[in-house]
Amino acid sequence: MQQPATKAQASASEYSVSAISFQIDIPDTLIARARRGDVGAIEQIYRAFERPAYTLALRMLGNADSARETVHDAMLRLLERIGQFRGEAPFWGWLRQIVVNEALMRLRRERAVVFEELPDDDATPGGGPSPWAFADTAQLERALARLPALTRSVLWLYHVEEYTHQEIARMTGNSVSFSKSQVARGIGHLRAMLEPHTPQRQQEVAPCLSATTP
Amino acid sequence: MSVRDDTVVTYRDHTVAAALRALPDAGPQPDLWPDLARALGERRAAMRWRYALPVALAAAVALALLLPHLAKREPAEPTAPIATHTATTPPSPLVANTGSDELSKLHLRSQTLERWIAAVSAHAPQNSRDLMAAVEFEDLIGLVDLQLGATRSNADALPLWRQRVALLEDLATIRGSAFAIAANDAGATRTAPTSPTQFN
Repeated sequence: MQQPATKAQASASEYSVSAISFQIDIPDTLIARARRGDVGAIEQIYRAFERPAYTLALRMLGNADSARETVHDAMLRLLERIGQFRGEAPFWGWLRQIVVNEALMRLRRERAVVFEELPDDDATPGGGPSPWAFADTAQLERALARLPALTRSVLWLYHVEEYTHQEIARMTGNSVSFSKSQVARGIGHLRAMLEPHTPQRQQEVAPCLSATTP
Repeated sequence: MSVRDDTVVTYRDHTVAAALRALPDAGPQPDLWPDLARALGERRAAMRWRYALPVALAAAVALALLLPHLAKREPAEPTAPIATHTATTPPSPLVANTGSDELSKLHLRSQTLERWIAAVSAHAPQNSRDLMAAVEFEDLIGLVDLQLGATRSNADALPLWRQRVALLEDLATIRGSAFAIAANDAGATRTAPTSPTQFN
């Protein structure tokens, strides 16, 4: 049964820009109330960011339980430090950084995952049409899930969250070329995993093209 | 469809970004807020202890350091000149019910000294050393007042009132000379406030 939405849940929708975007502006008054320990304000902030924070953690970690724990820890850390927030940078950027750091810390703790490497054979991005443009959501989800966690994280941070390679290198404690190679390899693997479906998808999208074959 | 990244030599393929962004978002299931609210409450309670415990320890240490000092002073008889009794404030119920002459006298004397100190303090400039010493005595008097507030019998209150008067006399000595105490008593009485000075 659907739970009735709380006041904070209803208020959260007022700040949403898009379902997946972290770029949500929070009123200063709400932050000030949260800083004073107002639980209602804290819940409103949480509700505003719970989906983008969880989605980011889930994409990076690839595991629902880990993502949930990451959001939990990130929110607690945020609330611990909210008194230090000076408003020089957007609040959402600050929170997003906390979530990313928590997720990366979790990945580091699982060292076997961090050091999982992709083979070099199909790492280079190919030319031709972009297979992800034709893949459906489930195919792309599956392909993404098959990438090593760190590669997937770097790919997501670079392409979706639009961090630069320098920023990713700093956050992961690696070099810029490491970040670049992870992105290139991730793209190469996605392409390889999705390409076999491309002709089928093309047929579905444009059956007239196959009709010309004698 | 690709744009050059400004910071490094690589290309950001917007088709990948668009495809990834088009994936559905998700929320934690079940709702994370109840756990978060509980953890937040626990953390706040821990924070309160983190601050309250050192304060309590500091207070205990201060008390442990002060008590021997106070106990040493307790039997001491008043040495400062005693001003004329001009008490206008009635004795506290505790004192009134005792029937003890000594307790009544100590209370009246305490009131007189408080008024004199209040009058002198308002007009006389103090050097920093005397000021610091005066503040220390005021703190000690405040401590005695706290203990007085917790007494249940006249027997418990009597030594504390002795301490209080002795401390007030020392404070009065700092505020002025013994001669000045006597000399200014009448003036202090005229300018005294209707309620005794609070030191705590």
